[in-house]
Amino acid sequence: MNTTIMLFLVQDGITNGAIYALLGLALVLVFAVTRVILIPQGEFVTYGALTYASLAAGQMPGTAKLALALGIGAFVFDLFVARKALHGRLIVRSFVANIVLPAIVLALTVYFASQKPPVAVCIALSLVIVAMIGLYLYRIAFQPLAHTSVLVLLIASVGVHLALQGLGLLFFGAEGQRGPAVLSGSFTAGALRFTGQSITVYGITIAFIVGLWLFFGFTLYGKALRATAVNRLGARLAGIRTTLSGQIAFLLASVIGALSGIMIVPITTLYYDSGFLIGLKGFVAAIIGGLVSYPLTAVAALVVGLVEAFSSFYASNYKEVIVFMLLIPVLLLRSLAAPAVEEEKD
Amino acid sequence: MSALLSVADAHVAYGKVEAVRSVSLQVGANQIVTIVGANGAGKTTLLSAIMGIFPLKGRVSFAGQDLARLDIEDRVAMGLGLVPEHRELFVTMNVEDNLELGAFRIERSKAKASMERVYTLFPRLKERRKQLAGTLSGGEQQMLAMGRALMGEPKLLMLDEPSLGLAPIIVADIFRIVTELRASGVSVLLVEQNAQAALKIADQAYVMELGEFVLSGKASDIAANERVAASYLGFQHEGASGL
Repeated sequence: MNTTIMLFLVQDGITNGAIYALLGLALVLVFAVTRVILIPQGEFVTYGALTYASLAAGQMPGTAKLALALGIGAFVFDLFVARKALHGRLIVRSFVANIVLPAIVLALTVYFASQKPPVAVCIALSLVIVAMIGLYLYRIAFQPLAHTSVLVLLIASVGVHLALQGLGLLFFGAEGQRGPAVLSGSFTAGALRFTGQSITVYGITIAFIVGLWLFFGFTLYGKALRATAVNRLGARLAGIRTTLSGQIAFLLASVIGALSGIMIVPITTLYYDSGFLIGLKGFVAAIIGGLVSYPLTAVAALVVGLVEAFSSFYASNYKEVIVFMLLIPVLLLRSLAAPAVEEEKD
Repeated sequence: MSALLSVADAHVAYGKVEAVRSVSLQVGANQIVTIVGANGAGKTTLLSAIMGIFPLKGRVSFAGQDLARLDIEDRVAMGLGLVPEHRELFVTMNVEDNLELGAFRIERSKAKASMERVYTLFPRLKERRKQLAGTLSGGEQQMLAMGRALMGEPKLLMLDEPSLGLAPIIVADIFRIVTELRASGVSVLLVEQNAQAALKIADQAYVMELGEFVLSGKASDIAANERVAASYLGFQHEGASGL
């Protein structure tokens, strides 16, 4: 191998690693706040990517309709839970957030889909659609189970993943799609060629990580989210609603997922079920971070990206196997470091 | 009805075991009310149920409003605060963040003034405001837990065993602050095993045994009661010596 190839692989690894880092951070965030292991994270990626690609190709994405359908479901759940103490303000608020909002977005999507909108509009619509899907999914599938064990939440999570993947096949078909580059053009530095797209990936990843750091470190809502993660009862006694924290966590996770998808889809062809494997690599990083450590997760994600890039060069057939084998020594080390099985407490 | 908090015929059960049976109590404005009793009498369970952590059968009203359908968070917003036995601090966050989050439901402009008040009450917390809550001493953690609850501007603060495991000098400090709270218009419902110290500062008192109230009345009368003296006051000298 010569230096040029090595540099290429490193570049490729860092680009992928940056995406895995975002996904891994979202997984850690959602787990810390809600105890949900977010298997459907991969679907947020494909939904974001394919909604974006469909819109750019002038097709109507089915996800916009799904958002409205889930919104109606969330509205019904809200009404049912509050049935004994219904009051006008609550109904109006829930109606606006769960039905009016997705209906407006659906109308906009129908309007723009027919006329091949500019890239910025495609991105904005895709992000909003997937964000709403994430938010309503939390309301429908996870909020009613919030007090149950991690295992029950995991089962629900697997169920949501399977449902979303099936719907993905329905919406986008079995063929893969590619989207237009967010930033076209490229430049070369020495032997390396940087495309606008890879610069976008680095830029957005760094911006997001800095943004998350600012959010968690310096804003009241960010601190409230951390507080919920550290001590759920303590947070409730301070007046912080667990459901509010859960909503923010799912909102962030779905936006991060969709954004990752939009960044990948100009580079790789994505299919309705590609997200799972991508999400799983973010999950490997999150596991290496112990599902608690953000910095460790980010670093681990870069390692995952690099290992993937190099193994696809040396042994491309075993690329996935090698990446997932990274878990085994990590789990072994962790199990040695913490020999006692902790009871789940809540 | 003038009582700030009024509990009538409350039952709390864990599955089939009734931990609290047919309990009624009232806390008026500007009052310190204490519930004393042995370990396992159901005091903590009762406080948790009033806060909404466990379901409670019976009637609980606060500031004239029925609490039955309200979540913990809504009760906090109404001015009901609980400092639980295990304090439930945000241990990986610093003192100032813990306090700031205590005022989550309060207007930002008011929160600043609240924090100053808490720092005046607990100067120790101001010195340690950048320190992580988990690294504080037991007494400081108790102060922080009380401070966090006070940040929410409660009308009634419920304290669960604030003196547990603390050095006598710190216990004395905490009891002094409880009386200061009453002077500033915050009512206190105090659950204590340290009956002597609690009865000394309280206006009203209830004695709890095996999930029921067996005695109630003015704190000074309860303290003078022979049975109470024999059961609860005999072994408490060391804890109350600083008062």
